[in-house]
Amino acid sequence: MRSSSYSVLPVRGLRAVVVLALTAGFATAAPAAQASAGTEAPPSLAAKPYMGWSSWSMQSSKYPGLNPDGDYSYLTEANVLKQADALAKKLKPYGYEYVNIDAGWWMDWSWKQNYDEYGRQKADPERFPSGMKAVADRIHSKGLKAGIYLPVGLEKGAYNDGRTPIWNAEGCTTGDIVYDDLRTTNGWDSAYKIDFSDPCAQKYIDSQAQMFADWGYDFLKLDGVGPGSFKSGDQYNNVADVAAWQKAIATAGRPIHLELSWSLDYGHVGDWKKYSNGWRIDTDVECYCNTLVSWENSVVDRWYDAPAWTDHAGPGGWNDLDSLDVGNGEMDGLTKAERQSYATLWAIAKSPLYTGDDITKLDSYGLSLLTNREVIAINQGDTPPAEPVTPSDPQQVWAAKNPDGTYTVALFNLADSPAAVSANWATLGFTGKASVRDLWNKENLGTYTNKITQALPAHGSRLFTVTPRGTALTSTAYEAEASANTLSGNASLADCSACSDGRKVGNLYGGGKLTVNDVVVPKAGTYQVKVSYISGDSRSADISANGGGATRHKFPSTGDWGTANSVYVPVTLKAGTNTITFDSSGPGYAPDIDRIDVPKSSS
Amino acid sequence: MNRRSPDPSRRTLLSLATTGSLAAVLGSLPAFTASAAPQRPTTSPLLAGSARSELWWQAPGDESSLIEQGLPVGNGRIGALASNDPGRELLLITDATMWTGGLNDTLDADGQFPYGRADFGSFTLLARLTVDIPDHDLSAVSGYRRTLDLSQGLVTSSYVRSGVTYSRQIYASLPDDVIVLHFTQSGGGRYTGSVTLGGTHGEKSSQAESFGASLANGLRYGAAVKAYGTGGKVAVNGTRIDFSGCKKLTVVVSGGTNYVPDAAANYRNPSLDPEQLARTKVRNAAEHSADTLLRTHVADYRALYEQLGLSLGTSTAAQRELDTWERLKARARDGVPDPELEAAYLQFGRYLMISGSRGSLPLGLQGLWLDGNDPDWMGDYHTDVNIQMNYWMADRTALSQCFDAFTDYCHAQLPSWTKLTQSLFNDPRNRYRNSTGKIAGWTVAFSTNPYGGNGWWWHPAGNAWLCNSLYEHYEYTQSREHLAKIYPLLKGACEFWEARLLTTTLPGSTEEVLIDDSDWSPEHGPQDAKGITYAQELVWALFGNFCAASAELKKDTGYADTIAGLRRKLYLPQVSPKTGWLEEWMSPDNLGETTHRHLSGLVGLFPGDRIRPDGSTPKNIVDGATAQLTARGMESFGWANAWRSLCWARLKDADKAYQLVVNNLRPSTDGSNGTAFNLFDIYEVEQGRGIFQIDANFGTPAAMIEMLLYSRPGHLELLPALPAAWAASGHVTGVAARGGFVVDLDWRDGKPASARIRSVGGRTTTVAYAGVHRTVTLEPGESVTLRDFAR
Repeated sequence: MRSSSYSVLPVRGLRAVVVLALTAGFATAAPAAQASAGTEAPPSLAAKPYMGWSSWSMQSSKYPGLNPDGDYSYLTEANVLKQADALAKKLKPYGYEYVNIDAGWWMDWSWKQNYDEYGRQKADPERFPSGMKAVADRIHSKGLKAGIYLPVGLEKGAYNDGRTPIWNAEGCTTGDIVYDDLRTTNGWDSAYKIDFSDPCAQKYIDSQAQMFADWGYDFLKLDGVGPGSFKSGDQYNNVADVAAWQKAIATAGRPIHLELSWSLDYGHVGDWKKYSNGWRIDTDVECYCNTLVSWENSVVDRWYDAPAWTDHAGPGGWNDLDSLDVGNGEMDGLTKAERQSYATLWAIAKSPLYTGDDITKLDSYGLSLLTNREVIAINQGDTPPAEPVTPSDPQQVWAAKNPDGTYTVALFNLADSPAAVSANWATLGFTGKASVRDLWNKENLGTYTNKITQALPAHGSRLFTVTPRGTALTSTAYEAEASANTLSGNASLADCSACSDGRKVGNLYGGGKLTVNDVVVPKAGTYQVKVSYISGDSRSADISANGGGATRHKFPSTGDWGTANSVYVPVTLKAGTNTITFDSSGPGYAPDIDRIDVPKSSS
Repeated sequence: MNRRSPDPSRRTLLSLATTGSLAAVLGSLPAFTASAAPQRPTTSPLLAGSARSELWWQAPGDESSLIEQGLPVGNGRIGALASNDPGRELLLITDATMWTGGLNDTLDADGQFPYGRADFGSFTLLARLTVDIPDHDLSAVSGYRRTLDLSQGLVTSSYVRSGVTYSRQIYASLPDDVIVLHFTQSGGGRYTGSVTLGGTHGEKSSQAESFGASLANGLRYGAAVKAYGTGGKVAVNGTRIDFSGCKKLTVVVSGGTNYVPDAAANYRNPSLDPEQLARTKVRNAAEHSADTLLRTHVADYRALYEQLGLSLGTSTAAQRELDTWERLKARARDGVPDPELEAAYLQFGRYLMISGSRGSLPLGLQGLWLDGNDPDWMGDYHTDVNIQMNYWMADRTALSQCFDAFTDYCHAQLPSWTKLTQSLFNDPRNRYRNSTGKIAGWTVAFSTNPYGGNGWWWHPAGNAWLCNSLYEHYEYTQSREHLAKIYPLLKGACEFWEARLLTTTLPGSTEEVLIDDSDWSPEHGPQDAKGITYAQELVWALFGNFCAASAELKKDTGYADTIAGLRRKLYLPQVSPKTGWLEEWMSPDNLGETTHRHLSGLVGLFPGDRIRPDGSTPKNIVDGATAQLTARGMESFGWANAWRSLCWARLKDADKAYQLVVNNLRPSTDGSNGTAFNLFDIYEVEQGRGIFQIDANFGTPAAMIEMLLYSRPGHLELLPALPAAWAASGHVTGVAARGGFVVDLDWRDGKPASARIRSVGGRTTTVAYAGVHRTVTLEPGESVTLRDFAR
């Protein structure tokens, strides 16, 4: 399923297919709409988001006692094996399998690097006295998989004035694989950029890949990759490195999952999908503070940054939201509500689920979050990732339509106070009744008509499976570019290949406005109006009806200016003819508007 | 229901007490004292669901934002804000007398008063109560609903956990003098958790069921809690009370201080141990079933609540479907009137008054409700509009009894106010001192506390405004006891002005007039202006009120003649030839801020009654007042909008009066001006920082009534400013009218359908609508119903 992720169809065509599928779900047996999509051979790696543990969260924290021998000193053979033991015992039955060693395995306590005679990273004897192969063997002996880590590029410490020979590459030295000007690369400028025009360069990557394969590693996190990692420009473009890694792994004789980090550039998503099995969409989730993470820095960023990437996740490659640190309670640095929301978003966005917690010290609530089989099934099952169906306002609803006709629906309250959050069935495409199962609380809540409303704590969430018992919603489309509409200020028409009918209204800034005229509804009420829009960054618009008071909504980025997406906004309309206005309001910028769909009944 | 209960009400008892000796006063006046045995209703006073008038919400309050999200309860003396979170009920508990500070009688170098939390003092929290139910985390429950039942005086919440419906009720009972939390369930559920009571002033808690301590000013205070359940176990465990497996749980809390409203006793009762008294109160209450406590409270509450009946029209089904917060947002966004919401906003003000002003200190800037110990402006009594505004609605909305706390306060403070005025006002450093060199009577500063103390700057005309408010209550009620009680305040204020007024001759005239000495028109412009309109108007009204009181009580007739003579010579403001406005200063120039929040130069329009748009006031004066009011604008914040609305109602401009009410109903978000989630009024004091100020919650209802009925002794006018939004049909019953009447009014299609006029002491009055006047003559207790106003 989710063939769309790898489709080369233009987005516009794709969206039409999805709409048809949604509608068909009501008319016929639900799975029929999905049948044609599930026939591809599953990829050998990352068929599902991977699950496991990573060492970095505890390494990066100032939590008392975690790093007794200086920064990042949590990373030791003993600690890795201790966590592997705990993972095997407590979490493996739920699907967690990767034990991932992060940065520093080749560094001493003062972060001084060790290299072998071929310029390859070598285990620090104090951190890993038994060596990396022995650690992988021990991890495998528990039925788990082993992960390891490298920064992208030729690390400066491996260069050795260009004299170090490359393993299994006669005549090649480190001097052959870098640029003459020794330009640096990666997120920290800690490496020389590799010049892949020299055949020796691929050999160097091959030598590293072979080493990991020989040691028995199943996973590699390649870090500091650009464009991304807060860098841009040719010097930091590591697409060739990533491609070389894919090639090297293919010949190394062992499947190795290749994960890229961090804040990968959306514009190169095609490359990341082509060459890797997953990509971190954001900066580190860790706070580098006295806990592992904090809500503001930077767990909450994912709600705003993930939506644009949603369509790119699928078997073989997933949007990586970073570690899931919800298991330890106080050390996590989050409230219970925040921990649940964190786990909810990671699950429904189909992010890899790897915790950075101390698995030996999971509290009972944390264990319940990490081991809820229904929630894990959302993440691991044959279901698409959820995306917002409402704007990026403090109260949000995310949803995904599942192959069986049900919907995964998450309510989020990102405000700092408790608030009621409603999911309107209209935003899922149907009206009438639906039965609701509460996944975190493992209970059926009964039947709800048109919507469900729940009180959520500050930063809280709910996660439901909604089974429609109603009828498909029909709506009327109004193109933004229609001649009947009124454009004011800077607003203007533009061509748009991703848009329905190929046109949109843009330049909504500095008070520019689009008013959609002649919106006809039969009865007065609040309507969930679907707004199709394009926005390369997150923008807000004031939306009002009939010249009345406006409500400001923030639209998530669609990733770039060639991709359309849609969310639903509630608009109160009167019976008969209405106007709906999108106002960039003052100095601000609003998204470009493709069209709106107004349901034929209110909610 | 009876609107004037024939039962021997608490108010009657209090009134009797005030006529007795000082000992009798101490024995029964506002203080934390032993309660008389509550009167228990013999029939159930509980209302069926359909008869209830409820505000409702779909989310609990945030612990750190209770001032905007907590629901208030109070019995007029003790109050609380409740979070209603399923997993952790939090109550921030207050006692109206829980004040730091003291007499504050050492002036600063500028001859004004210090204004800090230690010297002047501040209203602070009494206690903090939590009921933790760990298994009922908000994330684990569904169908959460929370209500404020205006018709029964109850805060409720309910939710479903694993198929069991859990409900809780919270209220503050005056008869039992406790706050009650009652937890029930249906479906076989159980409550397990703990109750914790503690202080907020760093007290060391050593036991679970009570605590007591003293503030730095010597005020003793204490609180106590008792919990009892059905079908489970309730036991003290160290500093908390644990409960487990309870089918039902009842928690009762009480507390108080050893404050007494008696200057001679230094405002303390040294023999009172508040902790022990609180223990006695909760023990006595806990001897009764939760049902008995509830019925007793609801009967007591309904007796006051139902003194007013109100309908402003019918809302739509779509509006009724929305919870209160959504409804406020929809009202502001859609611009469509929501008459039931608007009526509920008025009734919410009455709920706050019933909950916040009975048998203790009066309502200050935040009423009885706090979320910390550092309320802005100390949560004090501001005498240049705020405390007066708090009580403008008392008589208008049929809560005459709730006014008494204001009267009692002024009465108890008078000895201290007099002493401070006479010893400090003419301090040579005080820029507002009497240049006559004479001093007599009393006045106050802009802020007052309950210890006889003043704060911030002297406010010469504050005495007149307080007195005029107190006198107006007499005009409504015709209570001679009340008049006798406030008479010393009126007389002392007159004496102050007799000593202060300056004689001057107007330019181009030989006519001598009396004017105020150097003064400040609140709260802008020059601080050394003579003859400010604010003072001239207030003193003119004061002198008139004193003369009327003297005549009614047959006291000091000679002195009343003197005051009447002074009154005739008082300068009254002119219209500026430059601005066309009624002058706020004795100057044609606008010396202040055009859109300033205060309407100090318009006190003669409202709350004063000198400027009338009925032909009895020169047209140019009415036009000048209208022009100044217009210039002040429509976009201020809570109390300033309410005051503007009252002025526009007086000018019979229904659209503007109504728009200002609507402006106050705008939802407050991120601290913006408007109405918070819990309907408290929020004032944005700086970008993004909104604070609670209760005045608009009372001033706005007063304006709504003023739009429906204007009154002055001898004259009533029906529907003077009825807005189109309410015009279709409506009624109001129980509205007090100056002159000693109570009016029940029905209207249809914007015109009165019937008006019942009942005398509570008034004898004769004209009743006007649209230029038609009728004269009604009644004996006290009699009533007449008038019809056929519409032509």
